[in-house]
Amino acid sequence: MKHPSEEHDLIRWIDGEMNEAERTAFEERLKQDPALAKEAEQMRALSASLRTHLPAEMRVPHADYFNTQIGVRITQMALDEARAKQSGSSWISALQWLRQPWFALAGAAALALLGFFLLGPNASGAAESMILSSYTPNTHVQARTYHDDAAEATVLMLDGLDPVPSEKKVSGIHVLRSEVEPELASTTMYDKQGAAVLMISRDALGNPMISPRG
Amino acid sequence: MPASASTDPGEVSDLDLVKRSQAGDTRAFDVLVTRYRGRIYAMTYHLIQNETEAWDLAQEAFIKAWRALPTFKHDAGFYTWLYRIAHNVSYDWLRKKKIQGDGEFDDERTEHRVAVGAEAAPKGDLAPDTALRNAELGQRIQEAIAKLSPEHRQVIILREVEGLAYEEIAALIPCSLGTVMSRLFYARKKLQEQLHDVYETSL
Repeated sequence: MKHPSEEHDLIRWIDGEMNEAERTAFEERLKQDPALAKEAEQMRALSASLRTHLPAEMRVPHADYFNTQIGVRITQMALDEARAKQSGSSWISALQWLRQPWFALAGAAALALLGFFLLGPNASGAAESMILSSYTPNTHVQARTYHDDAAEATVLMLDGLDPVPSEKKVSGIHVLRSEVEPELASTTMYDKQGAAVLMISRDALGNPMISPRG
Repeated sequence: MPASASTDPGEVSDLDLVKRSQAGDTRAFDVLVTRYRGRIYAMTYHLIQNETEAWDLAQEAFIKAWRALPTFKHDAGFYTWLYRIAHNVSYDWLRKKKIQGDGEFDDERTEHRVAVGAEAAPKGDLAPDTALRNAELGQRIQEAIAKLSPEHRQVIILREVEGLAYEEIAALIPCSLGTVMSRLFYARKKLQEQLHDVYETSL
């Protein structure tokens, strides 16, 4: 066993943490002590291997799902807090509005559409996409689709929905799907400030999940 | 401390994204998550040595960061701040696992009895990276890291992967400089012991 100061000198030399005078003195000691010199070189080689084989950045498995789940949790937290703090306020009425059947329907329809895109045999070519069927639980709402050549996208139209109340600002919708795991997708609706109002995704079992819940 | 990722010209800066995130813009935060998830995941993976747990903990770190954003003062880089959060999340998890594991990691108790390695191993002429293919050596190193105690694994990751100075490691853990140096020494001795065939034959 070495004295702690010897241990510290050894690793400070390996890590380049010595000043010039200390380094010169330590290297003199190495010349006089072959066993210490051998240990120092082995430890230095180990250190170099560690730096080579332990990457500072790694590919995150299911990276898109990683982001989506963070978004879902953040949205849920924000709305839970708002609900707790502002009982009876506009947030609550916004939630009530979001819970309208048509809104959930829009989310489910969006998911169904995404699912088709991704599971279709020729998903890579938008022009080859084809909607085989659609289903709307609310019979007052009709779903229809068409292919927009300019946008190179299939557009889903939902007719018969209630108009969005003017005071409820959903100013943007972002649909994200995983390139690695095609079944993973999420739809987030934002207000003017960029805050997420509602997120539609899937849980671990693949069932549609709407945040905020209930 | 760990530096932030280099940004391309024209790319939105961390500062702008953080300010927007602090104002509630989740899209801006999503960009930050995308920018740093690979580095945060690498750190949690190296510390935890389990893909699923590392994934969950990396996600937990970003959630905690989001919740703590109102307290972020811009006096440190965002990544440095995020890294501290991720480190603390992971290290807390490791310590709980250590307690629950009832001595699964035991090299803390034996660090002053570390053998110097296989002194009698025959010498050879091959360098480590030619004695074993890189992938094989990488696997051996990962296995050796996994056998270290949380404390030893922690200093190795902070020093060898993140390149932190001793003072920075001491501030992050937190502990004394002497403790950092002792842990680094014994962590390396443990690794050397496990990988002695590689390094004995290389020198």
